[in-house]
Amino acid sequence: MMSFGENLGRRVIQMLTAFADTIVFAGKVFIRIFRRKTYSSAMREVLLNQIYFTSVQILPVFLMVSIIFGSLLIGIVFQLLKEFGLTGFFGHVLMGLIVTELSPLLTVLLITLRSAAAINTEMAVMKVNREIKTLEMFRIDVINYLLVPRVINGIISIVLLSSLCSIVLLVSGTLFSWLIFGMSIDVYKNILLNATNFSDILIALFKCAIYGFFITLIPIRFGLRASHEFTSIPIVVSQGMVNVFAAILIIEVLSLLTKLL
Amino acid sequence: MTLSREFKVGLFIGCTAIIIVLALLYLAAGKGVFENMHAFTLSSKSGDGFTEGMPVVFSGFNIGKVQSLELNDKGVVLIKIKIPDRHVKWIRSDSAFILYRPLIGSARIVVNTTNLNNPPLDEKKIPEVIIVNDINDAIARIEPALERVTQIADNVERLTSNLSDPKGDLHRILSNAGKITTNLASKKSLVEMVVSDEESVKALNESLKKLKDITTTVDRILTKVDKMADKTDSEIYGKDGALPQVNVILKDIVGKLQKLDKTIDNINKISSDTSEGTKDLHILRSDIDDTLKTVEDAVKKLDAIIGLKKVPEFKVP
Repeated sequence: MMSFGENLGRRVIQMLTAFADTIVFAGKVFIRIFRRKTYSSAMREVLLNQIYFTSVQILPVFLMVSIIFGSLLIGIVFQLLKEFGLTGFFGHVLMGLIVTELSPLLTVLLITLRSAAAINTEMAVMKVNREIKTLEMFRIDVINYLLVPRVINGIISIVLLSSLCSIVLLVSGTLFSWLIFGMSIDVYKNILLNATNFSDILIALFKCAIYGFFITLIPIRFGLRASHEFTSIPIVVSQGMVNVFAAILIIEVLSLLTKLL
Repeated sequence: MTLSREFKVGLFIGCTAIIIVLALLYLAAGKGVFENMHAFTLSSKSGDGFTEGMPVVFSGFNIGKVQSLELNDKGVVLIKIKIPDRHVKWIRSDSAFILYRPLIGSARIVVNTTNLNNPPLDEKKIPEVIIVNDINDAIARIEPALERVTQIADNVERLTSNLSDPKGDLHRILSNAGKITTNLASKKSLVEMVVSDEESVKALNESLKKLKDITTTVDRILTKVDKMADKTDSEIYGKDGALPQVNVILKDIVGKLQKLDKTIDNINKISSDTSEGTKDLHILRSDIDDTLKTVEDAVKKLDAIIGLKKVPEFKVP
């Protein structure tokens, strides 16, 4: 009984300490983002490469997935609305559910699976290969050079790709509203305008930025936790990815609470 | 031509940013952010159901929204609504503002304008909002029904408790029915069971027998009466009966009366002719009077002439 209590207490303390460390670490990185000194030419080069790998390279696949998955989703949702006689809520469902909720979620899941996992592994490998130690020896600021460009890339990529996904969904919504409801473009446009709130869009964009920040920061943090053994790489990668998904869920819940309040 | 990585990234960020900005600008224009807004103030005794940002609807279309809610010094809720320039034409001086709270869906202020030719609503005027509440209406309608259901349930409960009660009416009726059936099984007849006395039953039987004799006698009398009635019938209604003869007499009288009618008509004619004749008599009389007068005058003249001459001689005309 005593040992169970001790174990539980130890685990809770470890979790709280890890959470506090992550927040402190996030604070450090966040402050660096707003410092002019951070944006050296080397950092800018890294940032450019990161945006290229995360957004530009993935763009054709991302657009294709958005069109296929988004159209499928919109088709199913519209069909359900028609069947349940909830056509009156068409605009609110399209804007409130699909554009401001599902679109950022779809984007963040795709980017997490492709880029966050890559960042986590990259950091862990660099740690194992002592590349980070070497950078520190050359007095290169690891946070400025490695971390900040990746985090900024995460924010920019998620915001831009999520917005693109939303626009793709709205365009495919035009087609499906015509096919399922026989709705003209003018009516569709009016319904969307009536259902749109700027506050919802701002919350969605802010949520995307938060997603971008944490889905890059958490893998970096866990990647840097790797020891100098190669066997530690898969452990920290899996831990990092689990925590990233937990963070996504927490952010989603918080955004819903913000909307309710 | 291979595009550099920098160019690709720049193109991606630039194009996406432009698309996002254009979409937001389009949305802003559609929402009337760049339009002139007209503010109207409405009043309500209660702020219940009003929220900031609540849509203002005309004919099912959003034309504006609630900007703010205030409580003035008199305790009246002031609702400030903002209507864009292109929709202000729907707000006229006779417009009614109704807070509609549907059972399902969000509340909204519905604008009802009967005559669009009326002058626009003065922005300083404060019309009162009429409140239509589907939930309260539904509750008000359901309440009496619920009361009835409760009453029915109470009655059903009372009935069931009565039925299940061993000392209840039903059990008493059933036990009585049991007693009756056992009693019926032990007696010779239903009458014996009812009067519970064998002598009475015998007396009743004798009375019934006497009643039978009486009915036979009555039957016989009735047959005789029937025969008499038949005879009377033939005497009155028969071929040589009284009634056909009366009919013949009556017909004769009717014929004579018709003849008498003609005679009376003739008499009437004669009397009318006579009265017309008497009119002629008057004229004749006056003619005779005139003639007599003339003759009298002539006689007077003759007298005068004869009185003057010795030999009364005159020439007849």
